[in-house]
Amino acid sequence: MLRFIMRMTGNVFKIAALCGLASLAHAQADAPETARAASTVAVTPAPAPPPSRERSWRIGAAFGYGERTNPLIQSDDIPVLVDVDIAWFGKRWFFDNGDVGFTLFDRSSSTTSLVARVNDDRVFFGKTNTRYVNFAYAGNGFTTALPPPSTSGNGGPGTPGSQEPPPPVEVNPPDRDYAIEAGIESLLDGDWGAAELRAFHDVSGTHGGYEVSVHYSRRFTAGRLSISPTVGFSYKSAQMNDYYWGVHADEASDALPEYHAGAGFNLEGGLVTNYYLTRHLRFALSVNYERLADEIAASPLAEDDYVLAYFSGFAWTF
Amino acid sequence: MKKLPWLAAGCGLLFNLASAGADLPAARLIVKPLLCVIDREAGQCSMTFRIRWKSEAAAEYCLNDSALSTPLRCWPSAASGTHDQQRTVSEAFVYWLGAPNGTQRAAEVKIDVLRLDSQDRRRERRARHVWDVL
Repeated sequence: MLRFIMRMTGNVFKIAALCGLASLAHAQADAPETARAASTVAVTPAPAPPPSRERSWRIGAAFGYGERTNPLIQSDDIPVLVDVDIAWFGKRWFFDNGDVGFTLFDRSSSTTSLVARVNDDRVFFGKTNTRYVNFAYAGNGFTTALPPPSTSGNGGPGTPGSQEPPPPVEVNPPDRDYAIEAGIESLLDGDWGAAELRAFHDVSGTHGGYEVSVHYSRRFTAGRLSISPTVGFSYKSAQMNDYYWGVHADEASDALPEYHAGAGFNLEGGLVTNYYLTRHLRFALSVNYERLADEIAASPLAEDDYVLAYFSGFAWTF
Repeated sequence: MKKLPWLAAGCGLLFNLASAGADLPAARLIVKPLLCVIDREAGQCSMTFRIRWKSEAAAEYCLNDSALSTPLRCWPSAASGTHDQQRTVSEAFVYWLGAPNGTQRAAEVKIDVLRLDSQDRRRERRARHVWDVL
């Protein structure tokens, strides 16, 4: 029975995959064609009525493969296999993938809202590993990492005169908490493109800092293809950077020297490309690069000075 | 690979056949392209639709555009036909094949319109979360 169910399920998936592939190939051949038949009629209907009111809910999901690199030491990159999109937009209130907002002004060229959100820097601290590093005092004020200890030797390990290195030191990235931040957000657009201005402050007492960001994007559309490049920066305060990327006095060790991160600018650039197969289904390709501020990159907790994210897959919007 | 469009069309035809009228022979209608993508800069698509139809038996069929009150073209007694139509599109509409009096529909195909721009700019907020990469 189980084999039968599995076989039937497999067949359904095969049929679905076949239809999906056929639709994909079919859709690619759907580009506007030049008139070639004998009976070609040009018809221009009466001007269309204004677009109907959009639905309040936006629910979608993308399935594919992607990754966001993790600049934190001893941590794993973050795989992105499913990208879920859940949003609701009312006249004033809205919910957008975790952000909750209240719109203050909605004008012809800008929309300004109060927004509460969860800081994302904490996410990097969720996929960490513990490692053990051996250290020996070099006699000049510096410590030097040594290979793992051998099982033989004279005297106690780590004791003066001993040929064995000291016991390994546990190196474990410190824990960090999520922060709830509240702030103001202005969205502007026009023929020149779109801009997003944001200023947020921690209201949860987690880091006590703030962040200001500016991003500009412009979407180019040709037929079923749209390409949206984005550039921007975010300025993060010293309190914020230090909370996440500083090594605090009670966390410092030979492996992780004390470090205090100052304020700095993160620079960002990205590209999102969509090819619309149907009204609901699209093939999406995105890449985003964020250069971390020097104050973050110099932290003993930072292994990389950038965050690279990419994703490729099919996205469905209901 | 040449069979893929037919396979894709076949999946859609299941719906076309279901809408066939009782008196008119069942027909299938194939239209390309099926989607118009509209953005802020271009409020409409200028497209050429290639329309093909085929029925089980010869009869009098008319091809209609739901945005127009009169048929685009009629075939007095035919079991198949083709028609090309240049058209600007700003709203979804339907091509349908039916009897000359317009009371029965043998098949229909909807041409969808996707608007990328929104009247509510909050819907175009930039993806920010770590798992949100689109």
